[in-house]
Amino acid sequence: MTESTRLTAWRLGIIFGALLVVEASVRSGWISTFFLAAPTRAVVVLWEQLLHGKALHLTLITLYEIAACLVIATIFGVLAGFFLWRYKLIGTSYEMPLAALFSSPIILAYPIFLVTFGRTSAAVIALSSIFGLIPIIMNTKGAFQNVNPILLQVGASMNLSRKQLFRHILVPAVAPTIFSGFRLALTYILKSVLGLEYVAQVGGVGMWLADASYKFEVEEVYAGLFGTIALSIMFLYLINRSESWFRK
Amino acid sequence: MANAKPSAIAAAIHTPLAVQALTLAGVVAIWEFIGRSGLLFPELFPSLSEILQSLWVYVSTPVMIPHLKASLFEVGGAILVAALSGIPLGILWGSKKSWLEIVEPLILYAAVVPKIVIFPVFILFLGIDVYSKLAVGAIAAFFPISLLTIAGMREVKKVYVDVARTIGATPLQIAKNVYLPAIAGQVFTGIRIGLGAAVTGALLAETKIAKAGLGFMIVEYYGQFRIADMYSLLLFIFILASLANWAMKSLFGVLSPVSRKGGDAGMYF
Repeated sequence: MTESTRLTAWRLGIIFGALLVVEASVRSGWISTFFLAAPTRAVVVLWEQLLHGKALHLTLITLYEIAACLVIATIFGVLAGFFLWRYKLIGTSYEMPLAALFSSPIILAYPIFLVTFGRTSAAVIALSSIFGLIPIIMNTKGAFQNVNPILLQVGASMNLSRKQLFRHILVPAVAPTIFSGFRLALTYILKSVLGLEYVAQVGGVGMWLADASYKFEVEEVYAGLFGTIALSIMFLYLINRSESWFRK
Repeated sequence: MANAKPSAIAAAIHTPLAVQALTLAGVVAIWEFIGRSGLLFPELFPSLSEILQSLWVYVSTPVMIPHLKASLFEVGGAILVAALSGIPLGILWGSKKSWLEIVEPLILYAAVVPKIVIFPVFILFLGIDVYSKLAVGAIAAFFPISLLTIAGMREVKKVYVDVARTIGATPLQIAKNVYLPAIAGQVFTGIRIGLGAAVTGALLAETKIAKAGLGFMIVEYYGQFRIADMYSLLLFIFILASLANWAMKSLFGVLSPVSRKGGDAGMYF
């Protein structure tokens, strides 16, 4: 057994061990089904909803929102980051306010977005894009700032034109750092989209969870929770895989 | 001589502070113009004077006291629970490499899940009173605190512990003189980041279902379409959160035995 297999076996053991304890507690009646659904029941409900219910459709809505946020954040974030790098005074001036904005609880301003965009996915996309925008701006600016000057000097000594210098030296040099910003942005967008869908009761998977909660459908609440957790974990896994692939 | 004055002004304008001040003044002026003229969504952009007037009501009358108390209880309780569980667990997990290898990926994956989605479970167990919001805040703050404690434990070089053992230090002395100074900076950073997460978690949960609290007030104003009141309340929360963050930073700067930078665990919160 390799080290990695042993560690994975331990981790799966911890997860399934915990689920087993919950299952036994519910089935033995130690914890009322009014509070907690047996994990197997939640998985069955989730599966049924995916096959015959609305879960698949709602997942697609959530994925669409995440994709839209990512496109908006990437386009505007890279452009703004490049602009802030090119104009140093503006870049230095806005760095701190941007960081302050990012660490402030701006998600609480979601009613403003609901008033502006209505109770639609557009409100979720507009606010969640901000969460993705800031890390991409900061990373793009930082990436251009930290390009090794020797690379540029080598390019200049080879008589590369400005366009060639940008394409063959700057872009490959900044890409990994921008990708890190992209990864960070995706994580924040995911959290914001799912959180807002739940709180504002609009959109996809988060709204399903909120609906089930209102109706006190305990099994559906846990099924929705499992779905949300699975979606988050799947995203992080794919991000990690794509980053290691990208760095190769 | 005639050129000296304009160049001095130009130099003064060409500073980050001046650009920030000019940007702020510009935003305020544009907002006020839109608010007063009613050119763009008059209901959405109340004038700044209206917002400040509403803010003055909050700070000069007791209207907000019960809500502020509820939110402070939730956030304070959340950070306490998160610190009391996150620091010992972080130390425990970080003290053995084999445990850390097993547990760390699980924590990192769990940290990415938006904590607000666990709120329905807390409602089922704890009801719609303050404790369910406290729980959301606590679980949101737990991850930065425990992860940064682990990061602090990782910074403790084995050679320091070996040296302390060689000179005959007791486990308590090793904990006090080697581990504590090494992890204090990271733990303080974790608590500071955790505070932000707790504020967001608890107040966001209040906007969902609550009987009192600042988040509850935001949604109440939104429901009654009292937009100026809602803006002023958001402004009040942002100012309060910034002040708390600044106070913690200053306090921990004084308390921290060694000046350290926080680790890059930000992406998970």
